[in-house]
Amino acid sequence: MISLQELIKEIKNLEPVPAVVNQLLASADDPHCSMTTISDIVQYDPAITANLIRTCNSAYFGLSNPVESVRDAVSLLGMDQIVELVLLNNSRKALSKKQKGYGLDKGAMWRYSVSSALIARGISQKTDAENHNTLFTAALLKDIGKTVLDRFVTNAFDKITHLVKDEGYSFSEAEKQLIGIDHAELGAMIVKIWKFSPTMVKIIRHHHLSDENLRNDRDIATVYLADCICMMMGIGVGADGLAYRFHGDVLQNLNINSDDLSHIIADFTFNMKKFETLLQLV
Amino acid sequence: MNIVVGVSDMKVSNTPGDTITTYSLGSCIGLAVFDPVAKAGGMLHYMLPESKLDREKAAARPFMFADTGIPRLFKSVYRLDALKKRMEVSVFGGAQILDQNGFFNIGKRNHMALKKIFFKNKVLITHEDVGGNVNRTIRLDISTGSIFVKTSGSREVKI
Repeated sequence: MISLQELIKEIKNLEPVPAVVNQLLASADDPHCSMTTISDIVQYDPAITANLIRTCNSAYFGLSNPVESVRDAVSLLGMDQIVELVLLNNSRKALSKKQKGYGLDKGAMWRYSVSSALIARGISQKTDAENHNTLFTAALLKDIGKTVLDRFVTNAFDKITHLVKDEGYSFSEAEKQLIGIDHAELGAMIVKIWKFSPTMVKIIRHHHLSDENLRNDRDIATVYLADCICMMMGIGVGADGLAYRFHGDVLQNLNINSDDLSHIIADFTFNMKKFETLLQLV
Repeated sequence: MNIVVGVSDMKVSNTPGDTITTYSLGSCIGLAVFDPVAKAGGMLHYMLPESKLDREKAAARPFMFADTGIPRLFKSVYRLDALKKRMEVSVFGGAQILDQNGFFNIGKRNHMALKKIFFKNKVLITHEDVGGNVNRTIRLDISTGSIFVKTSGSREVKI
């Protein structure tokens, strides 16, 4: 079991996702938010601005005239795309490291996180979710807890494997049983310390839907489903395999049937090349 | 040369020394075929059971679906002088998340689609390792026809 103090010390060693991201998210999902508001938030951070302009001017977007300011970038690519690029640019470092305990090589978790985020966006479009930027971000950051828990999972790996293989535990349940906290709870602690919104904290905390009372929450369900789809596709699946619980009723609540599920998988695969380019880009 | 079969992809070879690998099969199916006389083999990594879901996508990416991918894999190895009657056929993947039942169980549906096609075409399976809650990485050695499997959290084993 780990002590709270030990965890907080570990969390403080992480390089946080910059505060501007929270500000950006709070504005982006407000239906009255203007492009000017978004530009104003971003342009006061020189590192983020430089990164954003460099990304926008890459061949991926194929813009005929180069972007010279954040305002240009927002008007050419649209608000959602800008929010996504800022998020991706600023979370790569935190999510790219090798996770030994989870059996993920360097970059594997990043790939998994971006895939989850893009799939969550696809589901949001299907379900007409208004707060799709929040859902994109929650799906991107949902496994941030693994980056801290990894060391403890490595130490307890044989016991975790025993509980999963022989006792019918899910991987998260085994983490909780042996370490005293699972990666979802820990992820929620991290984003809370980073001052993300209570909604974001809640989604990350419950993204494996261990709490039956929250199965009707559409935000959590969206991120949960994005995670399940990644597992089915074998993306970011490490030592934990597919040992998490599936709750079909959640899909029904989102009005997603098995054909919709297959369509989401097919769409994502179809755009895989674009996704690979995006991964290289940010 | 190590030839990598991506997601919704298929590769064949009859070059000694080549290996064909597909990484991290979750609910997808990895199908490996090998003719020990012609020393030719191939591998398919498909994701979904039936192309009727989206004909347009199936036309552009036939290896995404069982019913459009499997016949193409066999035809491609036949072109390397492989014969159906000599073919060693191995099937992997089709895993599921815990408690994933019914129509949402894409792993099981992927496996059923393959069995249906094989039954219709009288293809016998030599080796099968499907289902469960693990992901699998498969490697086929074209020199020998040996197949190696690595599952999550374990070492690679020869089958």
